[in-house]
Amino acid sequence: MSKRQFVALLALLGLLIAIYLTLYKTGAIAELACTTGSCETVQMSRWATFLGLPVAAWGIVFYVVLLALALSGLQGSLAESRGVSLALVALTGWGVIFSAWLTYLELFVIHAICQWCVVSAILVTIAFAISWLDLRDHSRTDAALGVPDST
Amino acid sequence: MVKKQAPPPKRGNPKAFYLVLAAVALIGAYFLYMQMRGGSSAASATTIDPSVPLPKAEGYLLGNADAPVQVVEYADFECPVCAYFATITEPDIRKRLVESGQISLRYMHYHIPAHPNTWQASMAAACANEQGKFWEMHDAIYNAQDRWAGTATRKPKGVLKDLAGQVRLNVSQWETCFDTQKYQAQLLASQQDAEKRQVRGTPTFIIGSKMIDHNMSYDQFKAYVDTAMASAKAAAPNDSAAKKGS
Repeated sequence: MSKRQFVALLALLGLLIAIYLTLYKTGAIAELACTTGSCETVQMSRWATFLGLPVAAWGIVFYVVLLALALSGLQGSLAESRGVSLALVALTGWGVIFSAWLTYLELFVIHAICQWCVVSAILVTIAFAISWLDLRDHSRTDAALGVPDST
Repeated sequence: MVKKQAPPPKRGNPKAFYLVLAAVALIGAYFLYMQMRGGSSAASATTIDPSVPLPKAEGYLLGNADAPVQVVEYADFECPVCAYFATITEPDIRKRLVESGQISLRYMHYHIPAHPNTWQASMAAACANEQGKFWEMHDAIYNAQDRWAGTATRKPKGVLKDLAGQVRLNVSQWETCFDTQKYQAQLLASQQDAEKRQVRGTPTFIIGSKMIDHNMSYDQFKAYVDTAMASAKAAAPNDSAAKKGS
């Protein structure tokens, strides 16, 4: 499995988690499967909403964009594009920062941990690391081929 | 000197990849579907023992006591899901179902042992009820849950006293009631009633002959009310026939 394929798979898993949490937040799912931690405390806190939308709904937007980007990076000439690698690093990097902020809120403000949020944070962190490696690979290839350092 | 060419990034097997992706998407969609089904189907409600009559004089009643469908909610003031229900779903229920006379809503305390401040919140509400303002205090307590709950403080009285002032209670009378734990017996009775009915968590609702042990959206709640209403109407002719015969 290539690095971008791996990122796409992680994005799909993250997307499923985000849909699950959004369905719970909107009442379509009555109870969260939460074996450890306090998912409901976190999901019902005022921090579970950002700019008028559930944080989980923003998660859907994020993971859909990530999935689309990773999949497009597998197609035709884009498969060799360093620009796609850069975009993946930027997007997942933003995801890591946002997840870190949410984890800080869980630990030090809400005083409760949502296991699904933790899983999402781990997924996006792995996606960032893989994207970084992907960018390194494409930078090496471009350097070897003498491609100018621009997108 | 010839520059050594770096190998192109690995592409992976596209066919196997898309198969894996589709499998994960299908399994995920099935999981979500099952979760949604579990949350909304009538199968998640249990039929209750009709020999245990619904409480008449306990709890706090909203609406007409003789409404065709009488709903009982067992809730814990410190439960986040109960707060969600009280602040998001319940306003619709009050406006569309209680005010129209279709249902009455009775609030009963069920304290979750893991919640350190719930008892004090219940006492605060019981003391507000003494001044005829249970529901005002109920709303204020749930709205401010993040300020007085065990995750925020070990001494909730200050916030609860603020709320008593906000809903325009006689605060000194409320404080005397609160400090002397005046309604301890009623709170305990409510707890025991819940245990007798096999309540295991909050929120739990009794709607007609069904006990539903989870949070619901307005539509799900209304569906249970409609079922109970239909049963009540079906039973009504039999009742009147029985009365005529006696």
